[in-house]
Amino acid sequence: MPRSRAERWELAPVALLLLDAEARVVDANAELRRLVDVPDVAALAGRRLGELLTVGGRIYWETHLGPLLRVEGRVDEVAVEVRTPAGREPVLLTAIERRCHGDLLVEVAMLGARERARFERELVDARRTAEAAERQVRSLHGTAADLAGVAGLDAVARVLVRSAVTALGARSAELWVPDGARGLRRWAGAEHVEPPAVDELYETTTRPDGDVVVPLRTAGTLYGVLVLRPRVAPGADPLDLGTVAAAGQLAALALARAATHEQSVSVASELQRAMLADALVHDARVEVAADYRPGVLDLQVGGDWYDTYRIAPDVLALSVGDVVGRGLGAATAMGQLRTAARAAADPELGPAQVVERLDRFVGRTGTGFMASLVYAELDLTSGTLSYSCAGHLPPLLVRADGTSSFLWLARATPLGVQGTSARAADTVHLRPGDVLVLYTDGVVERRDRSLAATLEDLAASVSMRRAAGTRLQDLPGELVAQAVEHDDACVLAVRWLGEDAGSAHEVRPG
Amino acid sequence: MDVRARNNVQVVGERSGAPTMVLAHGFGCDQAMWRLVTPQLAVDHRVVLFDHAGCGASDAAAYDPERHADLAGYAADVVEIVEEVADEPVVFVGHSVSAMIGVLAAAERPDLFSRLVLVGPSPRYVDDGDYRGGFSADEIGELLETMDANYIGWAKVMAPVIVGNPDRPALGAELAEVFCRNDPSAARRFARATFLADNRADLAHVRTPTLVVQNREDVVAPPEVGAYVHEHVPGSDLVVIDSVGHCPNLSHPDLLVRAVRDWLRTS
Repeated sequence: MPRSRAERWELAPVALLLLDAEARVVDANAELRRLVDVPDVAALAGRRLGELLTVGGRIYWETHLGPLLRVEGRVDEVAVEVRTPAGREPVLLTAIERRCHGDLLVEVAMLGARERARFERELVDARRTAEAAERQVRSLHGTAADLAGVAGLDAVARVLVRSAVTALGARSAELWVPDGARGLRRWAGAEHVEPPAVDELYETTTRPDGDVVVPLRTAGTLYGVLVLRPRVAPGADPLDLGTVAAAGQLAALALARAATHEQSVSVASELQRAMLADALVHDARVEVAADYRPGVLDLQVGGDWYDTYRIAPDVLALSVGDVVGRGLGAATAMGQLRTAARAAADPELGPAQVVERLDRFVGRTGTGFMASLVYAELDLTSGTLSYSCAGHLPPLLVRADGTSSFLWLARATPLGVQGTSARAADTVHLRPGDVLVLYTDGVVERRDRSLAATLEDLAASVSMRRAAGTRLQDLPGELVAQAVEHDDACVLAVRWLGEDAGSAHEVRPG
Repeated sequence: MDVRARNNVQVVGERSGAPTMVLAHGFGCDQAMWRLVTPQLAVDHRVVLFDHAGCGASDAAAYDPERHADLAGYAADVVEIVEEVADEPVVFVGHSVSAMIGVLAAAERPDLFSRLVLVGPSPRYVDDGDYRGGFSADEIGELLETMDANYIGWAKVMAPVIVGNPDRPALGAELAEVFCRNDPSAARRFARATFLADNRADLAHVRTPTLVVQNREDVVAPPEVGAYVHEHVPGSDLVVIDSVGHCPNLSHPDLLVRAVRDWLRTS
C-alpha cells in the first residue's frame, strides 16, 4: 500500500530524529519513541540529544561528535548507548547536518547494535589483550636486559629498583631482602613503605593503598620482596599484576645468581689477595712496586699475577702473567702457575729454560693452558736483565735519561701451546735509575685505539711521570687507575739503583 | 627538540606589532576547533594554533605516556610553545581542559602570559562533597567505555571525507582527514587526565588577568562550575554567552569572538 514519504519516515525500521541547531529534538519517529519508551513526540520535543544518551555518550557527543558534525557536516556509525527504561541500549548513530530555509537542522538515524556491540566489544577486548601482551613482553624484556648486565647483590638491587620504574611503570619501588632470623631488611629504594607482612610473601598482591607487593621467589626460596608504588597521575597507566609477577620471577633468578656469584667472588678475591701478599722483595739495590685491580664490570678477579723473588742472593726473578678465564678457577690456576714458576726458577738455567719447564708443567697438568707470561731475571750487582716472553706484551724499559723502548725480542707462544718454536731469551743491561715496567693487557687494551697506539701512550705516560718526579711506589697504582675499567689490570715496576746503592746491603724479610 | 613540529604549531596573521594570541583546543579534537574564529581574531592578532601531544597532527613520537599522564605535562608543553613563538607575554585562550592547562602554565610562568581566556573551564568534573562538578566517578567510567566502544572506528585509517559543502567555505578538504582523529590510547589517557583531575587549588595561584567564558547551557561544564572558577581565580571576570553546548568556538563563533574582543578592549 503506497504511503506518503512523511509516513514512511514515521514508520521506517530505524530510529530517526530531527534536531535543531542546538541539538534539541524537533521530531522523532515511531521506532525512536519505541526505543526510549516515550509514546508522545511532544514529550520528547525540546530535549537535547545528549539527554537521551548515557553520560559517557553525552560527553562524547559534546566533545567529539558535535564538533565533528559541525566541521564535516556528518558523522557515521558512531557507537553510543541510548538510555531506555530497560537499561542501556547500544546503537550505531549516523547524523547529517543540513541547512533548511536558513535554519540548521540535524537528521539522526540510530540502528540497534546489540549483537554488533557484543562482537565489537570482544574485538576490542582481544585487541586490548594483544596490546597488553605486547607491553608485557616489552617490559619484561627491558627488565631482563637490565638484570643481565649486572652481577653482585648491590648492583642487582639497584637495577631492580630502577627497572621497576623504567620498565614496569611504577612511581617508585623498594626492595626488601631476607635477613636471617630477623625477617626482612630494607635494601634499596627511594620511599618508605610498610614492611611486607608474612601473608604477602607468597603471591603478588595489591594493598588497599594501591601498593603492589611482589615476592621474589624461585625454586621455593624467597630472595626478596619488591614493593611497587603506582603512579598517581590520573592518566597514568596502572601497574599490570601479571607483568609485575613475571618480572618478580626474573628478579628472583637474578638475586639467586647474584648471591652465588658474590660468594665465589669473595672467595676468589680472598685467595688472590692472599697469594699476592708476599710478592715483593725488599733489597736496597732495587725499588719494587706493584698494583692489581680486578675488572669492575662483574667484580670477578681474573688470573693476572705479579711476583718477585730471589733465586740467588744477587739475582731477582720477576714475573707478570695472565691466566685465561675469570673467577675462582682462574685464581687457583694462577696460584699454581705462579708457584710452579717459583719452583722452576734456577740461577743455572736462565729464563728460556725456566719457561720451557713451565710449558711442561702446563702440558702435564693442563693448568694454565694458554696463559701468557713474561719472566725475567735481574742481576742486582751488574744490572744485567735477561727475559723471555710467552705470548705476553713486551716489557717497557724507561732509561734514566728519559728514553724508552719496548723489549720486543725473546718472544714465543703462550704456555702449553703445542709445536712451539723454542723458547728464547734476550739480555739488556740496565743502568742505575732505569725502570722496567711489566704489565698485563688490561693496562693497555682499548677498543677504540690500536695496540701500537696504546703502547705508545703507556711509554709516554711512564716517561712523563718519571720526569714529573712520581715516586716509583706510586707508578703502578697510577697506571692501573688510568686503564679502561672493564678488564683486570696489573703492573709491576722495578727500578735498579745500581750496585753501590747496596752498600748498606740491607736484606729485609719479604 | 623542535617544539613547532612536535605540536604542529601554526601561525596565522603574521603582522608586525600585533599581539600574539595562543588558541588551545580541548579534549576530543585538535586545532581545527578554532577554524571558525581564527579568521576574525587574526585581523588584529598574530594567532598561534597547535595540537596537544597525541592529538591531530602532533608528532606521535613526542607523546610521552608519563609526561602526559596529567595536565601538568600538557602545561609544560604550552610553556615551551609560548617561549618558542613569542617574545612578549601572550593572550592565551584555552577551551575546555585547555583552560585548566592554561591556568597551570600561567601559575608556573606568569611572565609568559598577559591575559587568560578560559572557555568552558572546569577545575574538577567529578562531584566532591559540596562541590558539584556535574559527574560521578562511575559516569566518567562510562565515558571511557564509550570511547572504547568506538576504538575500532577511531583507530583504523579513516577514508578521507570530502567536505564539498558550500555552506562551509571556510573549511578545506584536507581538514576532514584528520579532524578529531586522535591516537586512541593517547586519547584514553587524555580523557582520564582531564576528567579525573582536580585543579581547584590551582585557581588561586593565577595572577594573570582572566576572563571566564561560560556557555548558557553546557552539560560538560555547567554554569555553576564556571561561576566557581570565576569566584576562585582572583580578580577574574565572567561572561555568559548565549550558547548551548560545550564548543562555542564551533557552534557560536561570533558570540565567542565578541566576548573575547570586548573583554580585551576593556580589561
